[in-house]
Amino acid sequence: MSYKITLSTRDKQQFEFTCTAEQTVQEAAEAASLYPPFSCKSGICGACLATCKTGKYSLASYSDEVLSAEAVAQGDILLCRTIPKTDLHISVPYTADNIPQHIHKPRTAQIIALDNIAERTVKLVLQLEADSELGLAFDFEPGQFVELEVPGTKLMRAYSLANTPNWDGRLEFLIRLQEQGQFSAFLQQAVIGQSLLVHAPSGAFVLNKQSANPRCFIAGGTGLSPFLAMLQRAAEWGEDHPTQLFLGVNTEAEIMCQAELAALQQSLSHLAVQICVWKPVTDWSGFIGTPVDALRNYLQQHNSTQDIYLCGPPRLVAGASEIALDAGIDKARIYSERFVAS
Amino acid sequence: MFCYQCEQTTRSDNGDGCGTANIGVCGKDATTSDLQDLLVYAIKGIAQYATLARELGQTDKEADAFILYGLFTTLTNVNFSAPKFVSLIQEAAAHRDRMQALYETAAKEQGHTLANLQGAATWKPATTQAALQIQAASAAIDKDLDTVGADIIGLRAMMLYGLKGVAAYAYHAYVLGGEDEAIYAGIEKSLAFLAGEPSDAGALLKANLEVGHINLKVMETLDAANTGNFGAQEPAAARISPVKGKAILVSGHDLKDLYELLEQTRDSGINIYTHGEMLPAHAYPKLRAFPHLIGNYGSAWQNQHAEFAAFPGPILMTSNCLIEPAPAYRSRIFTAGPVGWPGVRHIENHDFSPVIQVAKAMPGYQEDAEEKTVTVGFGRHAVLSVADKVIAGVKSGAIRHFFLVGGCDGAAPGRNYYTEIAEQTPKDCVIMTLGCGKYRFHEQEFGDIDGIPRLLDIGQCNDAYSAIQIAGALANAFECDVNELPLSMMISWFEQKAVAVLLSLLALGIKGIHLGPTLPAFITPAVLDILVEEFAIKANGIARDDLAVALQQAA
Repeated sequence: MSYKITLSTRDKQQFEFTCTAEQTVQEAAEAASLYPPFSCKSGICGACLATCKTGKYSLASYSDEVLSAEAVAQGDILLCRTIPKTDLHISVPYTADNIPQHIHKPRTAQIIALDNIAERTVKLVLQLEADSELGLAFDFEPGQFVELEVPGTKLMRAYSLANTPNWDGRLEFLIRLQEQGQFSAFLQQAVIGQSLLVHAPSGAFVLNKQSANPRCFIAGGTGLSPFLAMLQRAAEWGEDHPTQLFLGVNTEAEIMCQAELAALQQSLSHLAVQICVWKPVTDWSGFIGTPVDALRNYLQQHNSTQDIYLCGPPRLVAGASEIALDAGIDKARIYSERFVAS
Repeated sequence: MFCYQCEQTTRSDNGDGCGTANIGVCGKDATTSDLQDLLVYAIKGIAQYATLARELGQTDKEADAFILYGLFTTLTNVNFSAPKFVSLIQEAAAHRDRMQALYETAAKEQGHTLANLQGAATWKPATTQAALQIQAASAAIDKDLDTVGADIIGLRAMMLYGLKGVAAYAYHAYVLGGEDEAIYAGIEKSLAFLAGEPSDAGALLKANLEVGHINLKVMETLDAANTGNFGAQEPAAARISPVKGKAILVSGHDLKDLYELLEQTRDSGINIYTHGEMLPAHAYPKLRAFPHLIGNYGSAWQNQHAEFAAFPGPILMTSNCLIEPAPAYRSRIFTAGPVGWPGVRHIENHDFSPVIQVAKAMPGYQEDAEEKTVTVGFGRHAVLSVADKVIAGVKSGAIRHFFLVGGCDGAAPGRNYYTEIAEQTPKDCVIMTLGCGKYRFHEQEFGDIDGIPRLLDIGQCNDAYSAIQIAGALANAFECDVNELPLSMMISWFEQKAVAVLLSLLALGIKGIHLGPTLPAFITPAVLDILVEEFAIKANGIARDDLAVALQQAA
């Protein structure tokens, strides 16, 4: 038995393919050479979040951190966990150009820098090896992530790129070291020159390039990564869009990338940055609280024309989304990426 | 959204024009289309005050230049970026306010009563994108359809689209230092006329022809700017096969961008290839003097998806026609000047270093291909330098007829008409061509008539000025009217530059033009009747039959 699946994108494009009663929608899409954003393929990361408009389906197991009971009741699904029972019409929260129709093979890269930049936070810099077709080029959209794989193991994790697409093969990442994290353990013993495999970029957490609205970026810890990429590109391209960035950390010791942010403010005169320390341990004179608190204050003082971009732990994303919705911001103008500890 | 400014606009029994879908045939989304309408509306407001100020002896260079640039961004296949238009609308309002102050100060100083302007001159643009979109209904091209009817809407549209083409050509001249106050005055006066929402068909037709006259001045100024900066076009062979080495492709019309890129890549080992309407660059002595202006790649604009994907280097798009960049080359295509696409990198101030960086990182061509060339450079200087030979050929009967087969290319199947016209033209006839329409036949071997090539590539679409000069010189030599020459014009149109050229030809009183592949959607049956009656304008038929009729009428 097979069913017709229709994906409708934010820019009103449609993709159709068939899916059997034994496949997930994500698997069927890939079988049809369509690659909607994905990562874990196990219902944990939320990268393939979508909304089913019509049709019946079942959902395999998933994390309720990325798909709440309320969201499920409203038709939200994860493409990697959705098995059709009828034809399905699915709305995806990104544009058609976020669904590539081919995917590059993983590429090898060497670690060229691995520096502690804040408490339990490292900056990983990779240098790609030249590819016969692409040279050193690595094309991605600021805001996207890649999966990094330790060769010869099954160890693989997704991280947002923190720099802009370039022609030199340089890839930068901000990574929070998790106490029980296997990739974190790998990084703590990794050495310069060690190889990693870099999978093709994915993800739909990218700027809405057709919007002229002011932007509000809310980053939780290393959720700053995609925003650094977006802001660096804006600076390189001379696109000085009014932007407010809130960076949330637990303590002062976790504050990162202050020099980079200051440099960006030199280039982007309409960029405002506020660092939010939740539990300061010194005489911190800046904002005390979470970025959700800061966003609440901000939206009380500004009108609701902002586009909201959220990146960080699920709780931060959920809290900030609620604040934005309460402030009258349309759901379609709230873009989010959840970081799931692993 | 409602837009029917280009040849490929949606046609249906329910009415022509893009509007029912969220996106136009060209790829322009409804938001961007609406914002473009608002920008045009705001520019009319500038023009209203600029016209009054000019009458009092006051002008403003910044506002003049902004009008050209702003209108150029709204041509088909130029700029698709909604945020860009939001900022341009605010800029337009600032220019309008400045022109208002300039006018009112001058009027008070000179003791005049202040004019009470309405409409665009008093419009206050909203500050947010969402609010602007709500305002867009008041600036839609067809907003008065129910009250003035489709004929008036069409005549207004033809004039506006002609002015867009005029502005684009004037902008090309402007960046090369070519300016004329009469041009700015004419454009602004015409825009101010449109701002008054005219509804008299006779007045609109007359104003359309005036736009044609303004465009003649513009094309003359652009011709002078091109030849003044780069020398007069000379017949030359342009290579159309690759050469081993790193490569950059330059498309569009802007010779200034090409020149600056050639300077910045001098002695770098990077070869520069022209594309589309850049092909005539190979005929200009000062551009040709750069040894790394190596050749031409590809064909007309509508084939860019396949051609750009296959090109082993970055691509620079300097003007129309840009279509949605495919993922295969989205990261290595750059825009300049009025051009833009969301997420595609834009080059400001001729700093092409990012383009050069990409060229160095990419493989380029790995080997030389067998050399193939086409001949370009038969502008008015080259043709008129052998005028005696041409006139003798006509008088002896060796040259029976001239066909001007040129204009835009496009994807419509009906454009094969122009290939068939060129192929079936008798061997005792000369074909003059210009624009990117030539790509449908220019690689073919047409031979010569007593040493005069049967295919004469006059240049870009704006080199219609050259064609007009050549026709005028022949008419003088034969002591006849241009319409009495053994000359037929098969003009292919696609976008608004072609509308400007068409209006110029009509303004000169040229009759019997074949216009295709389809007639503009904004020319209603009633307006077409007028054009047929006054100018004997013709729709394309079957190539063989149209050729036969043309030759028969000339006999």
